[in-house]
Amino acid sequence: MATETNTDATSAKTRTGGLLGVERTDALLRYGLYAVAGGLLVFLWIPLLVMVALSFMVNTSTLFPFKGVTLANYVATFADASLMRALLHSIEIATIAALIATVLGVLASFALARYDFPYKELYRTLGILPMVIPGVIMGIALLIYFRSLLSVTPGFWTVVVTHSVYGFPFVLLLVTARLYTFDRSLEEAARDLGADPLTTFRDVTFPILAPAIGAGFLFAWIRSFEDFIRAFFVKGTMNVLTTSMFSMIKYGTAPKMNAISSFIVFVIAVALVVAMNVGNVTEYVAGTEADE
Amino acid sequence: MSTEHTSGKRGQLIRAFSSTRRRLGLTVGPSLVWLLLLLLAPLTFMVAVSFLQVNDAYQIIYQPTLANYGNLFAGPGPFWESSFFKSLVLSYELAFVTTVVCLVLAFPLAYLLARRGGRTFKFVIFLVLLPFFTMYLVRAYSWFLMFGSNGVINSTLVTLGVVSGPVHLFDFGKFAIVVGLTHAYFPYMLLSLYASLDGLDFSLVEAARDLGASRTETLRDIIVPLVLPGIISGSLFVFVPSLGAFITPRFLGQGKVLMIGQLIEQRIDSLYAINYGGAASMFIVVSIVVAFALAFRYVSIEDLGGF
Amino acid sequence: MAADHTDERSKRGGTDRRTFLKAAGATGAAGLAGVAGCLGGGGKQTINIYTWEEYANFKDQIENTLDIKLEITKGTSSAKMFSAFNSGQDAQYDIVIPNNNYIPKLLDADLIAPVKKDAVPNFGSLYGKFKEFANSQFAKGGTMYGIPIRFGWYGISYDTRAIPNPKHSYSELWNKDHKGNIVQYDNHFKAISATALYLGYTDAFKGDRVSLTDEQLKKCKQKLIDEKPLLEGYIAADPTYIKSFEQGNHTIGFSGRNEIVEMWSNGDDWVDYYVPEEGSLAWFEGAAVSKKSDNKELAWKVVNEYISPKIGAALAKAGYSPSCNPKTQQNLSKDENKLYGAIEPSRLDGFIPFKAIENEKKWVSAWEEVKTA
Repeated sequence: MATETNTDATSAKTRTGGLLGVERTDALLRYGLYAVAGGLLVFLWIPLLVMVALSFMVNTSTLFPFKGVTLANYVATFADASLMRALLHSIEIATIAALIATVLGVLASFALARYDFPYKELYRTLGILPMVIPGVIMGIALLIYFRSLLSVTPGFWTVVVTHSVYGFPFVLLLVTARLYTFDRSLEEAARDLGADPLTTFRDVTFPILAPAIGAGFLFAWIRSFEDFIRAFFVKGTMNVLTTSMFSMIKYGTAPKMNAISSFIVFVIAVALVVAMNVGNVTEYVAGTEADE
Repeated sequence: MSTEHTSGKRGQLIRAFSSTRRRLGLTVGPSLVWLLLLLLAPLTFMVAVSFLQVNDAYQIIYQPTLANYGNLFAGPGPFWESSFFKSLVLSYELAFVTTVVCLVLAFPLAYLLARRGGRTFKFVIFLVLLPFFTMYLVRAYSWFLMFGSNGVINSTLVTLGVVSGPVHLFDFGKFAIVVGLTHAYFPYMLLSLYASLDGLDFSLVEAARDLGASRTETLRDIIVPLVLPGIISGSLFVFVPSLGAFITPRFLGQGKVLMIGQLIEQRIDSLYAINYGGAASMFIVVSIVVAFALAFRYVSIEDLGGF
Repeated sequence: MAADHTDERSKRGGTDRRTFLKAAGATGAAGLAGVAGCLGGGGKQTINIYTWEEYANFKDQIENTLDIKLEITKGTSSAKMFSAFNSGQDAQYDIVIPNNNYIPKLLDADLIAPVKKDAVPNFGSLYGKFKEFANSQFAKGGTMYGIPIRFGWYGISYDTRAIPNPKHSYSELWNKDHKGNIVQYDNHFKAISATALYLGYTDAFKGDRVSLTDEQLKKCKQKLIDEKPLLEGYIAADPTYIKSFEQGNHTIGFSGRNEIVEMWSNGDDWVDYYVPEEGSLAWFEGAAVSKKSDNKELAWKVVNEYISPKIGAALAKAGYSPSCNPKTQQNLSKDENKLYGAIEPSRLDGFIPFKAIENEKKWVSAWEEVKTA
């Protein structure tokens, strides 16, 4: 036995390790993986860090020559009334849209996770579709639909409605994933102990589901808040934060753009830290089971 | 049994929804109606508009026509030299390259994360997710600052003396766009791959190595087939949005690159040419349907969960 | 903030609801004369404007002068303003202020109302040339439909440190010496027009609309395709152009004059500007009142404010573009006047005003072909 393994190991060495040998190659690969992983994180973060840095600088377009640090950009940004109004619109729209998406999504998740019905797969595809369709297509289709077919003037509510559709798949995926790993014997036990379906839902199902629902709401909220292209088409003449920022690039000042963008990164960082620690978001995001 | 004892409104409510059909109606109904009205109907209308005529003021005349599709390819030369065709091909190219780059870069990281897990994992995922959750616009803009013949990348390289003059590669253009798109959709690929790799039984890998398989063989015969659902779904989530990208090529192409999303937007924005926009969008919609259909041969829709 | 919402919803309801609200408000104000302040604007009329960013700076002043409420929507492109009006949003606005070449388009689409001359007394002070334009480009059947507000012109801006002595011609944009450092304007109208002037097709600009023959358009397109390898990029947006210039991304480009004036105001004295000898395109903003407006007279009064000597001067300063009313000079300092104050009227004769394009679809297609080349 040992001899056989040895021979195998030797042939493995000559086949793979080549000049270096198995262990060395293993080590190299491992460090290589770490290096790639590290490089990737740098890649993901560098532009954002640069932007945050520039938001504090006097020289807003380039790092060199270095002209000094200032808070003036932030002051100007927050003093901009129409920008702040757009921010408020974004928050309002995101909240309402996410609420709609969450209610619809939770209901639909139950259907997908627990029942069988004809065309179930088709329905599931339909549910995921808004997440995958490029924003340009969705935006244009809805614009034409609202304007030319329904004769509805695009504005606040068209954006809300659009975003509620856009956020729906996120809620759906997260809550369904949680429902799949849900231990139904808990519900059965409650029923055996005399609880009616409503009480069971309220006291057993919902508390367990709550983190997933919360995560779904959060994701739908963020998707709505950060969406540009769909809002761009269906917003009419109202402005949301993203469209304001876009027109700032076109017709405004770069300093404000850096400042508001950095501010958003900061706010989302905080929200994400909270969500990840309180809501166990990581597990749902990666699709693994939570440790129960 | 318990429902019999509950009285009044509450009992009525419970009894009303005791049948599976009613429950299905309650759960599926609202979202189905919502999606039909606000997703399927608009898309269907857009398909319809692409086959209808439109007058000079771009109001719809309900007369069927194939002219809109013909006009897409109209031009001085043959159809493959029309601006629409060239833009479409370019978009496919860039979307494909982005997908491959995402796959190649995400795989090592996903593999590492799957093997390590624990607190490192949580921290790394946070670092990966945060840029993803910042506004897309913000990320595209941050890359906009980096590129350019005198953007942050080039000016830093020149100041540090690494190069003598601006590097052409870091100027605005196709490379910048691929970088921007990769940066934008990378998390989708990473999470898909991770979800798949996480379910991988690594003892299989060790067994293969013990049995004498080389690393490449292990990768090819053991790992990849098991991770295939993750690869497929990740690719889908990167390819499709990249195809219709609008913001990234607009910022990072500096006008020199015209992807299909930009082309459509230009026509709609400056002319409200919904016939042209509708017909052009159909090409993207059909591409997406085909991509999905191909994907579903390898992966069931349940595996598409978890992003 | 809640007020914004109500406005949004009432706007969506269309004219009926707005009329009703105004009637209710007017009745309320009349009935409670003297307590009008407590109503918080319920009795004031609202004028909705769709215009450029700087116009919002004078909201308070105009509101106080005319005792009205002003709702300003900021736009970033004339094309968008036109397409919004053309698709039903003309019911939402009283005034729209696109570039001059869009006024005939609005006129043809029957979306705007004639000027009420009595409400715009400042019209009399405008440069003769602009009064002429208002009576030609902005008129139909002898009736005037728009009022010029500010103007500017396009030319070539360059970095004097890199290019000390350029030829005052469009040819510099095709000069191989500047390869990789040239910026062309990212818009079909401006880029193709500039190329047409460069190729000498000045006749095309003589009529009501710019009309290039198919052959001429083909040549312009080819010229632009030839230019592409020499370009750093195509830029339309002012701040992007300025940023690119300041960053050193390009050294010469086709741009409006106001970007350069802004850079001069910011202390960038190394940039300079010339008007090409082949001819320069000039724009001017035209204020028009929507046909569906309920307050046309009041709307024209608001327009009048924007060309008044005082607000007109401040507007010029905010946008780095001179007002069409030379009287604004009185309210600007000597240096400011040099940048965006009065201009020698004879110079205006040399400008070719923006015009609508004959067969714009062909221009858009040609432009797409340049972009995908």
